Amino acid sequence: MKGAFLSPAAMRRLAALAVVINGLFPAVWILFTSLKTERELTQTPITWWPHAPTLENFAHAFADQPLALFVFNSVAVALLATGLTLSVATLAAYALARLEISYRNTALSVIVATSTFPLVTLLVPLFETMRAVGLLNSYAALVLPYTVLSLPVCTLVLVSFFESIPADLENAARCDGCTRLGAMWRILLPLATPGMFTAGILTFVNSWDEFLLALSFNSAPGLRTLPVGITLYQGEFTFPWPVISAALVVGIVPVALLIVIFQQRVLSGLTAGGLK
Amino acid sequence: MARSWRDPSEQALARVLLAPAFALLALIVVYPVGRLLLTSLYDDSLTSGHAARFVGLENFQLVWEDPSFWSALINTLLIVLFTVPGAMVAGMLLALVANMPFRRKWPVRLALLIPWALPLAFVGLIAGWFFQSDYGIVNDVLRPFVSQKIIWFNSPTLSFAAMCMAIVWKTSSFVAMILLAGLQTIPADVYEAARVDGASKWQQFWQVTLPLLRPSIVVAAIFRTITALQTFDIPATMTRGGPGDATSTLAMYIHQTTVDFLDIGYGSALAVVMFAISMVVSTIYLRNLRTGN
Repeated sequence: MKGAFLSPAAMRRLAALAVVINGLFPAVWILFTSLKTERELTQTPITWWPHAPTLENFAHAFADQPLALFVFNSVAVALLATGLTLSVATLAAYALARLEISYRNTALSVIVATSTFPLVTLLVPLFETMRAVGLLNSYAALVLPYTVLSLPVCTLVLVSFFESIPADLENAARCDGCTRLGAMWRILLPLATPGMFTAGILTFVNSWDEFLLALSFNSAPGLRTLPVGITLYQGEFTFPWPVISAALVVGIVPVALLIVIFQQRVLSGLTAGGLK
Repeated sequence: MARSWRDPSEQALARVLLAPAFALLALIVVYPVGRLLLTSLYDDSLTSGHAARFVGLENFQLVWEDPSFWSALINTLLIVLFTVPGAMVAGMLLALVANMPFRRKWPVRLALLIPWALPLAFVGLIAGWFFQSDYGIVNDVLRPFVSQKIIWFNSPTLSFAAMCMAIVWKTSSFVAMILLAGLQTIPADVYEAARVDGASKWQQFWQVTLPLLRPSIVVAAIFRTITALQTFDIPATMTRGGPGDATSTLAMYIHQTTVDFLDIGYGSALAVVMFAISMVVSTIYLRNLRTGN
């Protein structure tokens, strides 16, 4: 780097700036778009910073489609899936991390293998089954598959978290008369709260983002989730971009807040799940 | 602990604790896949009015002769061919920057996490707006360099290219996070030794970083391949498969056949083909995992 006209530190800062712009600019641009009037949007050359910021597009976004209902459905489905996934994954992870079972690696491999199953192939039989048992257009139609979708990564995160906590504390509690599950409930789970939190956020985001099954199973107006509902603003040939942008901003903000607050935890969870 | 694996109560408890997870997997994965293999052998169209009829491998014969299938399959394979290497290279660059010693780590961290957290369907819509021909920002930036405005979504090639760029942008952040985790496990003294031997930064990357990062690279590449094979959300929201069927994927064709046309038998046969392709990739993945351990 001797001949370079920028010091290594300056080059590093420049590279970081490029990464930040690459990652955040699209969301920022949608925010700008949502604050512009239709008239300002159809000017050429296009404007960058909104000249006369308006919240009108947000009013339209909520009036043209039941956006609040889409948000409610998405939150409900994601929270239910998160609750169910955490319960199921915690039990399984405890068994895999703490009990001496001969088929531990096989069981873990089977759970990981399901994460490589293409969701699209499950679409056909699940659609047929859900239709047959009348579960189309219900929260359950999405909550059950979303739970399976996040089960592998949650189990991996929790197994590695449980294994990082010494078993001595639980053993001590059991000597004091606690049952195995009592020790898990009173000692291990409180200590594992950060891991549970990480697994929970991953499940929530996975469920919040899912589109294909939501589009296929829950097409009734009252049960659409946000990613599905947000595609309804466009007509066959019309694209009301400012209103779509406002709806997108409404959809991005909740998850962006989660990410900003819990960034370190989410990143460590993702990398733990990805590396196994 | 040595004796406890024979402890019968512990074995029973393990079975009870693992039961819900495996019951869910059986209900939502194993049973549907079995059902899929079965229905692919039937003429089972919910709009035809007649009951399902066993037709053997006839659906697969129809798949083989179906030009829409081949066009969707080729598009899907092209997406794999372009976006997997694209996301790997972009993800590597992002990971290398994210691994630099900054005092404040949160800006770069957020720049990786936000694209990961955005729903693919949102990214498709956002990209559609970016590449809009009159007021899109891409054409605005390109204006000084091109003689006339580019109408991205009228051209099969340009639509496909724009879609691939959106996919690479969206998926490279997850690749970057896997690679970043790998980079952080490389001990600093390896680089120290390379520097003492007179290796330049460039040589260090090729001769130290890349070989030591191989396990993470393989995991990321295979994960990316599996998700690229299933591409649905971004073309569905960005191009709706158009113009014509230039950006239509196998997943979109399966969805259309099943959900719109209610042709369960044919949709199943298409899904079985998709299943077979991704099983090949997952098998490589699982084998790699085992030798990796």
